[in-house]
Amino acid sequence: MLNNIFSHELSYWFKRPAFYIYVIIFFAIGLFSSGASAGLFDSVSMTVGSSRVVNSPYAIAMLFGGLSSLIIFLYPSIIGVGIYRDYKSEAHFILYSYPFTKLQYLFAKLLSGVFMVHLIILIIALGIGLGFILPGTNPDLLKSFELRPYFDVYIIYILPNLIFTGLLVFGVVTFSRNISAGFIFVLILLILQGFLVGFSEEAENRLFSALIDPFGDLALQYYTQYWTVAEQNELYIPIKGVFIYNRLIWLGVSAILFAAIYRSFSFSQNPISLSFKKKTINKIKTHNFLGIININLPKVNLDFKLSSQLKLLNKLSNIDFLYIVKSLPFVCIVLFGLLINILTLFEVGDILGTPTLPRTWRMLEAGETLTLSINICTFLYAGMLIHRSRIFKFNELIDTTPVKNWILFGAKFLAIIKMQILLLSLVLASGLIFQISQGFYDFELNLYIYELLFLSLIYFIIWAFLSFLVQTLIPNPYLGLFIMIVLLIVIPLTSLAGLEQSIYKYSQGPGYSYSDMNGYGSSVERYFIYKIYWTCLGIVFYILTLLFYYRGVVSSFRERFYLAKQRFDGLHRLTISLFTILFLSIGGYIYYENNILNIRKSSKEREVATVEWEKKYKKYEDYVQPRITSVNVNLDLFPEKRDFKASGIYLMVNKSDKAIDSLFLDHSSRISTFKFNKLNDLVLEDTIYHFDIYHFKDPILPGDTLQLTFTVKNKNNTILRNNSPVLYNGTFINNSVFPSIGYPGGELRDDKTREKYGLPPNNLKPFPSDTTALGNTYISRDSDWIDFEAIVSTSKDQIAISPGYLEREWVEEDRRYFHYKMDSKILNFYAFNSAKYLVKKDKWKNVDLEIYYHEGHDYNLDRMMKGMKYALEYCSTQFSPYQHRQLRIVEFPKILGSYAQSFPNTVPFSEGVGFIADVDDSRKGGNDYPFYITAHEVAHQWFAHQVIGADVLGATVMSESLSEYVGLKIIESVNGKNKMRKFLKKALDNYLTDRTFETKRENALMYNDGQGYIHYQKGSLVFYALSDYLGEKKLNKTISKYVNSVAFQEPPYTTTIELLSYLKEDTPDSLQYILEDMFETITLYDNKAVSASSSKLENGKYKVDFEFNVRKYRNDEKGKINFGDRKIDSISFQGSDMGKPSYSVYLEDYIDIGVFGIDQEEELELYLKKHKISAINNAVSIIVDKEPIEVGIDPYNKLIDTDSGDNRKKVKEINE
Amino acid sequence: MKLSINKLSKTYRNGVKALDRVNLEIGTGMFGLLGPNGAGKSSLMRTIATIQSPDDGEIFFNDINVLEDNISLRKILGYLPQTFGVYPKMTADSLLNYFAMLKGVSSKKERKELIDNLLEITNLEDARWKNVSGFSGGMKQRFGIAQLLINNPKLIIVDEPTAGLDPAERQRFLNVLREVGSNSTVIFSTHIVEDVKELCNNMAIMNNGRILKQIKPTDSTKELKGKIWMKIVEKDQIDELNKNLNILSTSFNPDNSINIRIYSESKSNEGFKKVDPNLEDVYFTTLKENSK
Repeated sequence: MLNNIFSHELSYWFKRPAFYIYVIIFFAIGLFSSGASAGLFDSVSMTVGSSRVVNSPYAIAMLFGGLSSLIIFLYPSIIGVGIYRDYKSEAHFILYSYPFTKLQYLFAKLLSGVFMVHLIILIIALGIGLGFILPGTNPDLLKSFELRPYFDVYIIYILPNLIFTGLLVFGVVTFSRNISAGFIFVLILLILQGFLVGFSEEAENRLFSALIDPFGDLALQYYTQYWTVAEQNELYIPIKGVFIYNRLIWLGVSAILFAAIYRSFSFSQNPISLSFKKKTINKIKTHNFLGIININLPKVNLDFKLSSQLKLLNKLSNIDFLYIVKSLPFVCIVLFGLLINILTLFEVGDILGTPTLPRTWRMLEAGETLTLSINICTFLYAGMLIHRSRIFKFNELIDTTPVKNWILFGAKFLAIIKMQILLLSLVLASGLIFQISQGFYDFELNLYIYELLFLSLIYFIIWAFLSFLVQTLIPNPYLGLFIMIVLLIVIPLTSLAGLEQSIYKYSQGPGYSYSDMNGYGSSVERYFIYKIYWTCLGIVFYILTLLFYYRGVVSSFRERFYLAKQRFDGLHRLTISLFTILFLSIGGYIYYENNILNIRKSSKEREVATVEWEKKYKKYEDYVQPRITSVNVNLDLFPEKRDFKASGIYLMVNKSDKAIDSLFLDHSSRISTFKFNKLNDLVLEDTIYHFDIYHFKDPILPGDTLQLTFTVKNKNNTILRNNSPVLYNGTFINNSVFPSIGYPGGELRDDKTREKYGLPPNNLKPFPSDTTALGNTYISRDSDWIDFEAIVSTSKDQIAISPGYLEREWVEEDRRYFHYKMDSKILNFYAFNSAKYLVKKDKWKNVDLEIYYHEGHDYNLDRMMKGMKYALEYCSTQFSPYQHRQLRIVEFPKILGSYAQSFPNTVPFSEGVGFIADVDDSRKGGNDYPFYITAHEVAHQWFAHQVIGADVLGATVMSESLSEYVGLKIIESVNGKNKMRKFLKKALDNYLTDRTFETKRENALMYNDGQGYIHYQKGSLVFYALSDYLGEKKLNKTISKYVNSVAFQEPPYTTTIELLSYLKEDTPDSLQYILEDMFETITLYDNKAVSASSSKLENGKYKVDFEFNVRKYRNDEKGKINFGDRKIDSISFQGSDMGKPSYSVYLEDYIDIGVFGIDQEEELELYLKKHKISAINNAVSIIVDKEPIEVGIDPYNKLIDTDSGDNRKKVKEINE
Repeated sequence: MKLSINKLSKTYRNGVKALDRVNLEIGTGMFGLLGPNGAGKSSLMRTIATIQSPDDGEIFFNDINVLEDNISLRKILGYLPQTFGVYPKMTADSLLNYFAMLKGVSSKKERKELIDNLLEITNLEDARWKNVSGFSGGMKQRFGIAQLLINNPKLIIVDEPTAGLDPAERQRFLNVLREVGSNSTVIFSTHIVEDVKELCNNMAIMNNGRILKQIKPTDSTKELKGKIWMKIVEKDQIDELNKNLNILSTSFNPDNSINIRIYSESKSNEGFKKVDPNLEDVYFTTLKENSK
């Protein structure tokens, strides 16, 4: 009997077109996603270049696992529907009298659904497997085929998930007899998991999240989060420990679920309502017609005037709207969307544990989490409204009423728009409530309304047009929903396949961005052009939908097509042609502007251009050029028109000992003129790469000067294009708008891609040991130290700023002029800011401190002032005097980025990182990052603007790592050591996580290639640890010696080798190993507290026995583990309970051991001392005065440790 | 008032001819469409009610070309399909309101007055605020009548309305239908001969998509006068008799004997006695004639 039901179910599915649609869609998704990752589209799109193997077991786990989780949207209509279908067709009345058992019936239904899903899973695997080997993929990215990775993922990941989710959906749909209910549970599961993912961002929550993640993603991640590239390329996914427990937990839940379904299911099943209201029994009995009666109905007016028809449309839309709002899926989707929105409100803008003030733009940004909810509701309810009357068999009654199609359909469309408006107003409501709850009363209602009802709504309406068309053409609303979700995901991804222009991709186009300083700026007009463009197509879709909209009984698609053709009369023809023409003309205009008036390069073309550029001009790289020694510029900014116009004079000197006959000028595509003060020929003018070669009649002899006078201005801005970086308010541009001398680099970095184009491997930057490569700083290639002077003008209501001291300020012809002049040598690195600023002033010793800020952004000015003072104090006492008499912080809009950047005596500082931080100074509060970032940037006045590394590997250690170190030390001096642990742990976690995303190679700190996770996170950890080992004073003295010997030096510039030589000199022999571990190699510890116990001694003291393991290992540039260069360098240990010995690099290390007690609920350090460790497994006994609570090895996480969570252990008390 | 149907044809995708060159002329009053299940009655009704398009043919109601201008017909149409559902969680009041709006009653006051009356007529006043999805079969059918009456229809199409009603309900329902149909055209389909006999002043018999006969019930039996014979026989004789005789209908007696009615030009067999023909005999002879 089981067999019969099972095969009956299968034959049902094999007859359904929906099944084949799913199969085709998933096969295509599998094929193209693996193909794209393996470089299938290299010929039309950018080359996929990476050190990653794209079909490694790990990559397959991500891809195969990820794609199969997409199917869970199909579970309600494949697995869930098994029994429900029998009810719906009312076959259950007959079926349930047949001789089969409940178990057979349930099993057969369940198994057939699961079987069908398996077919789709198989198709995905097939698609992925084939995608990798499609002709055109890049074999360098692939290893040979293996079945095991697919099998592993299937057994440990996909199958248990399928069992659990499948059962859940099966149960829900069977008992509620409602497919939507199953869909809701799928969404709830996904959202729950999304929440867990957010929760697990904090390292201490990871174990818990790993155990209870219903899909097991976080359990897998628990083991793989710090996997290096080599590990990702080689290892099989770990089927062990937490991962297995997680699977067992959810298989257990599944078993209980099945038992519950089995128990509660009976063949006389009534649906279980999911309604929250108590149902009153709805059996009414009234008398029938009373005999023969006279029918005298009141005379009513039947009114078909246009005005009343429009009123009717509105009323009908209200009925549809109410239906949506009252329906359960809507309520659930919205509630969960809101929940996530509210959680996001707390999260958005959180930097180092400190939130950002709840300004309105932040509320709106968080509201974007509702985007998916609104889209899904639009897709789903477009289908429900179209098909509802047929689903409830109500259509014949409605369809015979004299209401026109455009009213019936228009009402549905309007209802969806009303729903979207309702959902968008929830963003407003939750934003306002959140602001009030945070005590923030600076409401900007107009901003809410403008963004939600104008900018956002049009986006959703454009999706509604397509949803209705799809849902009208597709007979099943859930299939329609699925297709829409696929479209929503796939349309933006088509860029990967080389379809890059937004005009070809429905609903795509540039977005908008808001900042308090600049408002929406010029982004809005461009945004609307694209939205109007898509709305025109949307209206065409709308009319097509009307043509295909049908009433009553239509037997075939051919008949519908015939009907549509019949209806395609004059009015329809006219509107369709009108909007098609409009659509095409706007599209044509965009195309013309982007492709004909301007040169648009696809990413593929850009890649080819980069190759050509290198092949053509790299040969001039080593051609000696004169060096810029002085810059004098006039810059006119026109904020209202977003234009700029500049002229300038570079004074250059031939500092070499050879005569120079040619000069290479690299400049932008802007309108420019160049004039030298020596006779020359323009021998090459490259209008594509904007690279010109001038040949001088008389060579410039060593020591000779050369003067370049240039002008540059932007082409006019258009609605679609910004040809200038000037903003209405908050311009921030740097010297890159001006020309530079010599070949500036800018080459392809990936070796495999280079090989494809016949280029030699890229040696990245030279190693610091290459003494011929030390002629340039890493900031500029055409100059050493320069004199700088600038006159900047802007509109009358703005202040313009550039490095230097204000010589004069005046107003002329309604414009404001500022003349700045620097009195000391600076790097050729400067910027200009202009906005309507307010200024806060203060003084540190004889240095003028100023903060230029946007009105209203005065929350943290005192912290920033304090940051400047502390950093100036620290650096000038510890290292060397401050070289300027002035220091300024200048705010710029967050649309340009959330960072701060240090220029000589000037620090442009984004409004997004500090000005609106909501700092909590209590112990529980996060970090005072406005203070911290200020300190870091001020430190750059030393580490970058005094000491600057040569343009070789490791250069950023001298700027970023040292500034970060100063920042840490200053914040430690304010906050104390305790708060540092949180900070260091976060830096460690970021370092370990970010290095897993490395696609090229990770070098040791002193050879780093400018990766942020190395020079910021690892750099700060290393210098902080070093100050702990050597002592802060001693380390600073060493750094100071170094600073004083290299500050403001002429080439050759300093390198990490030189810095390290200073450190080596001042480090005792016993600690020299630290420098090797931290600077010269990638060394990681795996320290672990094993056990800890204590007993009270007779003298009232406590004896603590502590067992712990110390292990360290090294990684090569791909993350492959080794234990030292030679076999003899490694040591090993095998405990009685260990199956395999563990290895370590040879140890003679000094590591903190700490014992902690408690004092008034605060941690109390009872003991902290470095112990010399020379074995992997160690035990110590320590006597402490007070009751010990916790013991730890490296308890403050000063070392780079792959598992920082297991360094401490609670002490077990033993009574003797 | 006149509904004329001309050469109406419809073939489904699976090859079934639902309508095969149907021609009909229907005037004011009750018109019964009689036919077995699957005869094409519902297809015909739906086509007249504008919710199914034919492959070929024409329908006119007075001046209205139904297939070209369905909106004009819908303004004066009342339609009650064989089965219908309603949206859940909607009360009788709100649903009637909804239909009144759809049918063009734009004044709120008029709608209310109208619904008061409709509920009174159909005796659904007590159920006004109850969800229609919870109604019993009879109540739902009355609700169907209520919605049908909203626009004071001139053409009323009722598809198998009595199926599933108990005898008392059925009787009352038909009474109402007659009252409704007193000054409009009412077409109603059924496979129960009794329904037609009691109500209709005109009728047609339909099978296999074709109109087999259009007659007045009152004169329908004239043709068969003297050609219907009846006999009581034993069960085991049936097969034998069926070979030679044109058996129209059979019915059991309590003692397990069987009444058979046959059609014959003359008394052809022993034991048969002449009986008065009834409408059922007309129905069966018509079906028989055309199934050959």
